[in-house]
Amino acid sequence: MTTNSPYLHVSYAETNRVLVEPYQRIVVAAIVAAIVCLPFVAGGYFLHLMNLCSIAVIGAVGINLLTGYCGQLSLGQASFLAIGAFTTAILSQRFGVPFFLAIPASCCAGAVVGFVVGLPALRFRGIYLAITTLAMHYAIIYVLTNYQAIVGPSASAGISVPAPSLGGFTLNSERGWFYVLLIVAALVVMFALNLSRTYIGRAWVAIRDRDIAAETCGINVPRYKLLAFTISAALAALAGSLGAYFTTVVTVEEYTLELAIVYLAMIIVGGMGSVIGSVLGAVFITLLPFGVGRVFEAFPWQLGTTAFGVQQAAIGVAIIGFLLFEPDGLIEIYRRIATYFERWPFRYRELRAGGSR
Amino acid sequence: MELFVSILALGSTYALLAAGIVIIYKASRVVNFAHGELAIVGAYVFHSAGFVTGASLSAPSLLITIAISAIGSALFGVLIYFSLMRRLLGRPTFVAAMVTIGLAIILKAGIVVIWQSRSVGIAIGRQALFNFAGGGRITWIDLVSILACIALFAALAGFFQYTRLGRQFRGAAENPLLAAQRQVNINLILALAWAFAVFSATLAGVLFGSRSMLSPQSTIIGLSGLTAALVGGLDSLRGAAIGGVLVAAATYLTARLISPTLAEAVPFLILLAVMCWRPWGLFGTVEELNRV
Repeated sequence: MTTNSPYLHVSYAETNRVLVEPYQRIVVAAIVAAIVCLPFVAGGYFLHLMNLCSIAVIGAVGINLLTGYCGQLSLGQASFLAIGAFTTAILSQRFGVPFFLAIPASCCAGAVVGFVVGLPALRFRGIYLAITTLAMHYAIIYVLTNYQAIVGPSASAGISVPAPSLGGFTLNSERGWFYVLLIVAALVVMFALNLSRTYIGRAWVAIRDRDIAAETCGINVPRYKLLAFTISAALAALAGSLGAYFTTVVTVEEYTLELAIVYLAMIIVGGMGSVIGSVLGAVFITLLPFGVGRVFEAFPWQLGTTAFGVQQAAIGVAIIGFLLFEPDGLIEIYRRIATYFERWPFRYRELRAGGSR
Repeated sequence: MELFVSILALGSTYALLAAGIVIIYKASRVVNFAHGELAIVGAYVFHSAGFVTGASLSAPSLLITIAISAIGSALFGVLIYFSLMRRLLGRPTFVAAMVTIGLAIILKAGIVVIWQSRSVGIAIGRQALFNFAGGGRITWIDLVSILACIALFAALAGFFQYTRLGRQFRGAAENPLLAAQRQVNINLILALAWAFAVFSATLAGVLFGSRSMLSPQSTIIGLSGLTAALVGGLDSLRGAAIGGVLVAAATYLTARLISPTLAEAVPFLILLAVMCWRPWGLFGTVEELNRV
């Protein structure tokens, strides 16, 4: 028996539904239809931005599983992306491995590195863990910098990646990339949503809220912490690998500490511990510099470096602003608005169980 | 001898950075990830203030520049506390740490916007104080670095040991709630911590800038400062001084004896080693690890 009510649950399955009410399915279907039709009306530049967003969504979902769900603060996300990108570049450029092998191999490489970077999490939590992952980030980037200097034509030229092709079809148009990246991003989002509803997801949330209590409940804390690092790094490596194919060149200079912070900013802005929040945050933070750039283009005088600096500063302002004034991120704003309309004309707070989607 | 003085001079820069990180950590359990940025922005401000007061940097204009930078940096620290950090009291400390990361981005972008990422050097005290027969030399600024560092650490030790405010500071660091109930002004203590931290960071940045060129990439010295603080123990001021010298010695000797490229890797290699072997540092307290 189902009740189709967001408030009255008569089975455990109902508490775990992603789309609680029937109208939400219609909304999701409409959004999917709109996105699928998008390439027929939008220009190439817009599609390019959307592709960057899709890649960011994959990485942001990865770090949200680790930091938002499992509560392990990581500054090493950029190094996981770099591992994915470099594995792809080395395999496809030097050994001619096709993409359907190179991408899984990159994910595996990322997972292994994530496992190693996650080992200190067994000993530390909070800030000490963040400092350790920071050191790991520099160590990985240092190794890759020296590698790039050895194999590349010059230290800063990077490694070029051939476009993925299968049976005579080569993926090199923005529109083709749009659908591929969209499907991968959607699969990753669904994977994360499902994962968060299983034993693993609940174990992570328990570890985040109080690791000692989680251990008392019979959760194998070290195993699930390492699992979070492994899955998160694998998803980041997937984003890095797709990014490498998409931009066709891999340089280590791309994977700075700033990039790790940008990914952290995505989940802070979107909402920690919410898969949909990481999608919103990824889109917001990816488009923010372009939006700021647009504003600056409207000015009559040329600003050059200044505009670049302001674009950077905007991300910092977004991090601080959301942490101070809206710690639960964009998803919380959405929830408030949705609740307001659902309850109108009354002003009750949200009654819905669960809530951390 | 020259090697020894160079290590001490570099070490005093790192020790000053570490001191700021330690003071903030002691007072509020927040690790300041913006310390390198604060140092470099401070050095840029010093450089610009030097231009305003007189490019020649004669004695009076130098004094005015130093005064402007010292007061300005301390006020900036107070501003950071009251505009950002005070709102985060009672929230998890890693939230405050993430706010300092946001601050770091804004400060680094500030260098791009205000100084257009120019490389500048602070040309003071480059003259040789003492020339060695073998070709090495000690410059004025080396001496100033070491003396300033010693003076600052001595002043801090005296402040914590002998003044009423210093004792209140230690009490607030130990247990903020109890201290507040005993009428210790926590806001004053924390604002003071930030003022001192930004001041010492600026001093470190200026000393760094007078030895090598400043650029947005110089903010990496924050990592050396953080490493120095961790080597000594995040809650130990004495550890900050010794950690600074140790990190400087390791960096300098690696650059001299092995290779300059490897020297870039030294700070985070030490950081990893410390985290594996003795995460509470040389002088830190062990139970600190479980508090954050």
